[in-house]
Amino acid sequence: MLSHLSRRAFLKGAAVIGSGLVVPNWGGLAHARSAAEAAKKSKKRCILLWMNGGASQIDTFDMKPGRPTGGPFRPIPSKVTGLQVCEYLPKMAQIADKLAVIRSMKTQSPDHPDGIYHMHTCYKQSERTPHPELGAVIAKFNGDPGADLPTFVRMGPGGNAGAGYLGPAHEPFSLDRNGRLPYFTSPYTKPEAEERRAKLFREMESEFASGHAAEPFESHRTSKERAWRLLRAKGAFDLSKEPASLKDRYGTSEFAKGCLMARKLVEAGVPFVEVGHDNYDSHADNFICHKANMQQLDGAWSTLLLDLADRGLLQDTLVVWMGEVGRTPQINNRAGRDHYIRAWTIVLAGGGITGGQVHGSTDIDGKDVKDDPVNEGDLFATIYRALGINHRAKHYTGIRPVWLTPEGSKPVKGLL
Amino acid sequence: MPLLRIAAVAVLIGFPAVAAAAAEPLHSVIDRELKSAWAREKIAPAPRATDSAFLRRVYLDLLGAIPTYQETTAFLADTDARKREKLIDKLLADPRFATGQAQVWDQVLFGRHPANYDAVHKRPAFQGWLARQFADNVPYDRWVKELLLAETPGSEMFYVQFRGQPEEMTVAISKLFLGTQLQCARCHDHPYEKWTQKDFYGLTGFFVRLVVQESGSGAKRTFTIGEKGTGEVLFSGSVKEQRPGRKGEPVKPKFLGGKLLEEPPTPKGFKEPKSAKSLPKPAFSRKAKLAEWVASGDNPYLAKAVANRVWSQFMGRGLIHPIDDIRADSEASHPVLLKAITDGLAEHRFDLKWLIREIVLSDGYQLAMHGPSKEALPKWFEQARIRPLSAEELVAAMRVATMYDQPGDKKPEITWDYFTRYFGEPVNGLGDFQGSLSEHLFWNNSEHVRRFIQRKKGNLIDTLIASKEPVDKKVERLFLAIYQRLPNPTEADLIAKHLQLKDDKPEALYEEAIWALINSSEFRFNH
Repeated sequence: MLSHLSRRAFLKGAAVIGSGLVVPNWGGLAHARSAAEAAKKSKKRCILLWMNGGASQIDTFDMKPGRPTGGPFRPIPSKVTGLQVCEYLPKMAQIADKLAVIRSMKTQSPDHPDGIYHMHTCYKQSERTPHPELGAVIAKFNGDPGADLPTFVRMGPGGNAGAGYLGPAHEPFSLDRNGRLPYFTSPYTKPEAEERRAKLFREMESEFASGHAAEPFESHRTSKERAWRLLRAKGAFDLSKEPASLKDRYGTSEFAKGCLMARKLVEAGVPFVEVGHDNYDSHADNFICHKANMQQLDGAWSTLLLDLADRGLLQDTLVVWMGEVGRTPQINNRAGRDHYIRAWTIVLAGGGITGGQVHGSTDIDGKDVKDDPVNEGDLFATIYRALGINHRAKHYTGIRPVWLTPEGSKPVKGLL
Repeated sequence: MPLLRIAAVAVLIGFPAVAAAAAEPLHSVIDRELKSAWAREKIAPAPRATDSAFLRRVYLDLLGAIPTYQETTAFLADTDARKREKLIDKLLADPRFATGQAQVWDQVLFGRHPANYDAVHKRPAFQGWLARQFADNVPYDRWVKELLLAETPGSEMFYVQFRGQPEEMTVAISKLFLGTQLQCARCHDHPYEKWTQKDFYGLTGFFVRLVVQESGSGAKRTFTIGEKGTGEVLFSGSVKEQRPGRKGEPVKPKFLGGKLLEEPPTPKGFKEPKSAKSLPKPAFSRKAKLAEWVASGDNPYLAKAVANRVWSQFMGRGLIHPIDDIRADSEASHPVLLKAITDGLAEHRFDLKWLIREIVLSDGYQLAMHGPSKEALPKWFEQARIRPLSAEELVAAMRVATMYDQPGDKKPEITWDYFTRYFGEPVNGLGDFQGSLSEHLFWNNSEHVRRFIQRKKGNLIDTLIASKEPVDKKVERLFLAIYQRLPNPTEADLIAKHLQLKDDKPEALYEEAIWALINSSEFRFNH
């Protein structure tokens, strides 16, 4: 089914554009397809820990002790020489050898809706092109459309772009903050009645299909089956049977539950899970806010990485920690920090990433990137490369060709 | 520029051969041209659609709903050789023709995710205005002009979606009414086309003075479109040449592929009024000039673009495909046909009802959909296209099929937000249908869908359960009500067996059967 659909998309793509342009188009889509197949074999997955509102780099992984911008938190040494982290991230400090800290993020969208869009798609929202979120991209390229579980799962606050031009088959499946399933996932009928009408539906469809081979019909049936398979697999979302000791290590916050859920889902083959953590948008009382957040974050994130490693999943699971913006080095008169995009931090770990390193640096007060700046496109190219996805795979929105990352984006070599 | 003018004139005058053919009705031209392409491409077309297939298709295409059981049986029983033509004329005169077409065009003009969403996502006044254009069969060029003037209440919403974004108006208007993609030329000269940034910003010059004026708030918020007497587009080169502080040169308004706007100088000492509540009409209106040009014979794009669009609405794809990218060198799949439609529209004073009638009268429109091809939108139109029903059509079709609306009912409870969310945009960036998980979770598990099926007095399930007819007659009725056709023996057997199971109450079994039929591919699509 999948290869069939891909082949069709591929032929259709070639027909869209004038005859003189068939060749480049052909090449782009052919490449996209073989990349998709390669990645599926390696089954790379991704968990995005989304720091909604934008976490402060200076209060977490790029500390400036003793500087006017430094703030009250003290740094502690980590397992990696040269990497000090905040005193409220002691567990992360212990496993810093798994982390690649990018201290040189330099991005373009300074606010929430646009930053959230940009850091989920690596494109500006103002373009009004329906770009897909990275979750949808990973769902498309690394997901198994025949799987029981959805290929793009989200819990808590997160992206605002959805599947865009990739289409409704790759839209996110959103759990609420407590991990409860969305609307319309519980049947109103008894199981035997559901079984009965499903059987009738399948028999009627197969009778219809014998005379009518067209693709939309097939897509309709395939999605119907996905909805039924999900009912069968709903147990995957049930955290109640996880060992209490493990749950304790993750913590009791909604975010901690989300991390445990993410581990459970990637273990069950879901290629992308986003877990949102609210709320880092500390224009006032930045330090109170960040201390409280880190106390939830530290246990949940570190346990997630260790839990994945224990199960042999970390090498194939990329864990990304980021928000839409960083926060100003200057502390404002409400003890807050505002949005900052000139120099901020994102952390990668696991699948395909070389841990125990710091990439790039900022100046003494954290106001500017000193070396190796990384932009949105480079970051996404790195993520896609780590997951075995061609970051220049080409698609169309109407007649317009679009690429997974903007022209000129390159994976950051040292990170991989 | 002189070369372009000549090309435009040639399109308008046409060749003598076509003038002679003008007496021939367009639907004959359609069939002749489709046939000759099949012969050339060595394609065997599908057979003529059955009366049932035609009936369902033409109801959905013209009215946005399926026929009732009574309408279906009456049509199928009619032995008049001209019954399809009679039906077409009946539907064209039906008030739902106007609302159905307005629904289609409303989506063309706004889509599911318009900009300025908060202000425009509810737009009953606009939809009412649009429906009136179809009800009165206002010529297309006239209502487009009115839309672009935005002076009739309701019509202003088109501009409101682009509030403060004259560039977006340029992109939308060139695409929708001129069939031309200009958005590339916004940031750089178009890579494959003649359009430059100067063309883009020349057209934008017509919109740069528009102001969306707002009054009232909440549900009472209303808008008008004001126009300032001054203001220019400043052009500062391609995106790559942009530098902070670089101020651009003013760009003179220019009709696309045509002349610069002749404009009187701004009166000496003219000052924009301070109060921005509602601007007075400017002494010279660029908006009016643009609206006039779009609707005039000087604009070589309008007729061709709408000919191609309406064709594609009924036949699945444009003669030039995609429909909003007609270039100077675009080759139509059936060039003579596209020209005949374009010329015909000009002769018939942009009468869309005439065009729609000719298309649905043609044998090409009335082909069956089955065949070996898996194409949803066959390039040579050798079999019927397959398109998903819109959210609005799906709801309408379910209401009719299940006889949901009964005399004496309260206002029907339709949760539109859900239906548009789950059925509103079932395609990817290429326009190919894609089913989704959430669509089917909604179909399967939602009481909002179940509401249409469950037993209530007088509805389909109630009628069937109450009826003393033998089960095979009930199965036939189910099929006619939902699919407008009779079941084949296998289907009849499957459904009859299900209805007679002993496992559950009749209500449950009948509900399951109806559910299975309305969840089917056959129901989900127009084909």
